[in-house]
Amino acid sequence: MTPVIEMRHIGKVFPPNVVALDDVSIAFEEGEIHAVVGENGAGKSTLMKVLFGSEQASRGEILYHGQPANFRSTRDAMAGAQGEATAPGGIGMVHQEILLIPEYTVWENVVLGVEPVVAQGWRGRLLGQLDTQAARARVQAKISEFGFNLDPDALVGDISVAARQKVEILKLLYRDVSVLILDEPTAVLTPQEVPQLFNELRRLRDKGKTILFISHHLDEVLALSGKVSVLRKGRMVGTVDAATTSQAELARMMVGREVIFEQHKVPVQPGDMVLEVRGLSVLDENRKERLRNVTVHVRAGEIVGVAGVEGNGQFELVNVIMGLLKASQGEIVIAQHNVAHQSILERREWLAYVPQDRGRQGGSLNASITENAIMTHHRLNPDLVRASGWVLDWSRARQFAQALRQRFGVVMDTPSDPLRALSGGNQQKVILGREMSLDRPLLLLDQPTRGLDVGSMEAVHDEILKMRAAGKAILLISADLSELLELSDRVVVLNRGEVVADVPTAETDREQVGRWMLEGRDVAGD
Amino acid sequence: MRQKILSSLIGVVIALGLGAIIMAIQGYNPLETYGALLDFSALNSNAFPTTLKNAVPLILTGLSASIAFASGPVNLGQPGQLVIGAMFATVAGLALDLPPVIQVPVLLVMAMLGGAAWAGIAALLRRAFNMSEFIVTLMLNSIADLLTAYLIAGPLADRNAGSPTSAPIAASGFLGTLGPINISVLIVAVTFVIVWFVFTRTTAGYEWRMAGQNELFARLGGCAVNRNFITVMLLTGALAGLAGGLVVMAGPHRFLRGLGANYAWDGIMIAVVANNGLLGTVLYGLFFAMLQTGALGTELITNVPGEFTQVLQAIIVLVVVAGRVYLARLLDQLSARRLGQRSDIRRQISDA
Repeated sequence: MTPVIEMRHIGKVFPPNVVALDDVSIAFEEGEIHAVVGENGAGKSTLMKVLFGSEQASRGEILYHGQPANFRSTRDAMAGAQGEATAPGGIGMVHQEILLIPEYTVWENVVLGVEPVVAQGWRGRLLGQLDTQAARARVQAKISEFGFNLDPDALVGDISVAARQKVEILKLLYRDVSVLILDEPTAVLTPQEVPQLFNELRRLRDKGKTILFISHHLDEVLALSGKVSVLRKGRMVGTVDAATTSQAELARMMVGREVIFEQHKVPVQPGDMVLEVRGLSVLDENRKERLRNVTVHVRAGEIVGVAGVEGNGQFELVNVIMGLLKASQGEIVIAQHNVAHQSILERREWLAYVPQDRGRQGGSLNASITENAIMTHHRLNPDLVRASGWVLDWSRARQFAQALRQRFGVVMDTPSDPLRALSGGNQQKVILGREMSLDRPLLLLDQPTRGLDVGSMEAVHDEILKMRAAGKAILLISADLSELLELSDRVVVLNRGEVVADVPTAETDREQVGRWMLEGRDVAGD
Repeated sequence: MRQKILSSLIGVVIALGLGAIIMAIQGYNPLETYGALLDFSALNSNAFPTTLKNAVPLILTGLSASIAFASGPVNLGQPGQLVIGAMFATVAGLALDLPPVIQVPVLLVMAMLGGAAWAGIAALLRRAFNMSEFIVTLMLNSIADLLTAYLIAGPLADRNAGSPTSAPIAASGFLGTLGPINISVLIVAVTFVIVWFVFTRTTAGYEWRMAGQNELFARLGGCAVNRNFITVMLLTGALAGLAGGLVVMAGPHRFLRGLGANYAWDGIMIAVVANNGLLGTVLYGLFFAMLQTGALGTELITNVPGEFTQVLQAIIVLVVVAGRVYLARLLDQLSARRLGQRSDIRRQISDA
């Protein structure tokens, strides 16, 4: 049976000299769910983008339904095979970031770009007046056909993230694609929403669609897909049946060596209280309470994990501790110092911070690696400065950057390269290394392994546990529940700005934490 | 770095080529014209020192703009800061007559104070009321122009002169030459070294640059971003003010009408063309000074109107700035295509 898609000897070089794909050949069968996995920078997104037409391959060819089809643009890809009388459907992609217009309704978003115009007369042909009735009806028909639970008239800004993702999928189905590519589809979903998505994808497969998806989550990959292909450093390592493989084997193919999945935590006796947040309340500019009466404790040698659906107060909690936001009520005490009125620099005496967003908060992408590495150290580390702190010693700064490279295994050319020259994982290592080297009693980590691959994640978890063993207090905020439960000694769950649970990790599990995240306090009590 | 120089050179060459075409269409001889331009700006014995002297306000206002833009504050008030600085130097030069070794530094400091104070108004309004310094500095330019025009037509007017101008400053404030080179040029050279050192080698300069690239990152890292904002506004205002003082002291020795001319606007433009790089600003400043000084030559030798160099300046700005991004992308793509064609691609990234 001819594979529906065949990619042969694909090569892709990004200007000026980044080899993203090197002689990759892969085939996809019709009606299968096929996962593509690999570390960050392995090339899986690039491979899918080449297939989808948003990137052009430097070498190689693509066959779609047996016909050559090097799509020049995504419109071509969605239109399908070229020059066919009975053209089979095209190829569509759902990206990781949901790109919809919040002010438009569901049906308006779905038809955007292929709007039906009024058929009769000059209004249709000349002015292109929208046939809103027909558009709405067609979208509703698609919703019913595939059994999605969507209201075509709902405003996209009002519906949940999971529903928005469904709208993205609906957009492709509306255009009658027969191949759907999904990029990290579960990244935006809570644990409870994932099975629903999988059911929908299985239904689509049963209707004859082919589904390709990229994912980091090996457990989900094994649960959903029929076949799994592994890329490593731009090369195809192999394709295996999901039924006969394991997470460990996939990880080994991805990284090239054995990967430890479960960290073994050394029991550590928690010491003094390092972070005490008491009765904290924070209002936003509309005087709405984003945090209400929040109390969190972290002791030395302890990791407290904060779980919660994004938007339930984690952003405010982090920013109040850091000093970007003011609390309307409550106290923050770090290492016995009441920091409520202290500047960020003064707080940095006690706290190191790895922010959520590498590019917007954690570093300057255009600045050199050295310049990024010495932030905050330039004020707190007397070794890096001369003339009582007025002049920077750049040679010592470079040495510091090299030391970071050694200790944290950062893959880089030279420290004077800009930060943007590094892969996401290595950028994160620079930022983590910088903050951990500050050696402050409290370490605030916000999504420390977001976007990192299995190998880097393992290294970062290792470092976090070393900090814990060294007696640091760690507040860890993470959307990755496995990571959170694996690393934390205690779990705090935020829901609508309130702490709805504060329990030792050993006394709870994934399902219960997921329930707290979605529903808040148990009706039956804590 | 090499790519930056290459793209600048290509841009300038293309611009000169376009200028040659324009001249040829009009019936002038491009080669002879460029030759005359070069002659009158660099080759003649008197030419290069004149070019250097003309470059003084361009370089200083250019540095003022470059440092401000690269550090966050959008200081577009160099024109106003320049004339206020010139006015402060003029008033001090009229009121004092100390020995030159004291008079000159005092006048220079007054010029810098004037520029700093003028920029400080915008900084204050920003800190107190969150008013955009972009707008405020621009508006202050007009106020400065009108204020100084009033002063030289009224309270400070020289009754003996035929047009609005102040009286000449005390002779002890005149800047003469050291050999062929005007002292103002040496002052600029020293200023550049100091500014370069502060911007690239000090903790403060590091904080400014980081805040200019990513303010949130600098803030989270503990930089005193708000305080640095004010410092940078004051410092860049002082640089523009210094330019004004030097123009008076090395030039007409009085504040006459039209003193500021287009220097500061050209300076801002130079900063943009140089993409806020310090050395680039100096080099472009020199280059533009050459064009402006050489304009006399084009008029005398080939009858090309002096305004033509302004046309040339404009073309250079357009080509270099607009072409910068495309050129960089083009060079990258060529390099990528070459690498992609090879059938034995090997990645240079070592195993993590």
